[in-house]
Amino acid sequence: PVEGPMTGDANCVDEILKEMTQSWPPPLTAIHTPCKTEPSKFPFPSKDTQHASFP
Amino acid sequence: TKERPVHSSDLSSTTVIPDYINKYTAVVSMDQRQTYKDEFNAEYEEYRVLHTRVENITRRFHHLDTESRRLPPGTKEYQEVHEEVLQEYNKMRQHSPNYQVEKQRCEYLHNKLAHIKRLIADFDQRRAQSWR
Repeated sequence: PVEGPMTGDANCVDEILKEMTQSWPPPLTAIHTPCKTEPSKFPFPSKDTQHASFP
Repeated sequence: TKERPVHSSDLSSTTVIPDYINKYTAVVSMDQRQTYKDEFNAEYEEYRVLHTRVENITRRFHHLDTESRRLPPGTKEYQEVHEEVLQEYNKMRQHSPNYQVEKQRCEYLHNKLAHIKRLIADFDQRRAQSWR
């Protein structure tokens, strides 16, 4: 039962599905790291952020 | 300064090196890093909008594809899914007549922004190593 009245239609659908389901990569993430002077590996645990401007 | 193209095997017969390969080379200063980052950010929003649009459409068709494979051919449900594919496709062409162009633009931006991001990451890594 390969052929039927809607074979053309089915081919068309197959084509559409093939075209429209091509793999799509996940989005790129933004660039974070605004680091100016410090290395990206921060040696201290970041438990509180109050020390942002200590003397 | 020569960067090699990212893709080792091009699908098309044209092996044109994308413009950004020669434009964006290894980062050597903080100023340069900032410039690259600004240019990344300038196009990032457009990229995300396009990416989301393509992603949503792709997801809809993936869903229909899965349904279609699940159902035995010849059944009424199978036929209905196929009808839905055609409807969805026509709808997409009405709402996004430039879908293919947008998708290509998004792929271009994806590769370009990934390239810039990699250069910045390489620079950051070299700096981090020099801090040890």
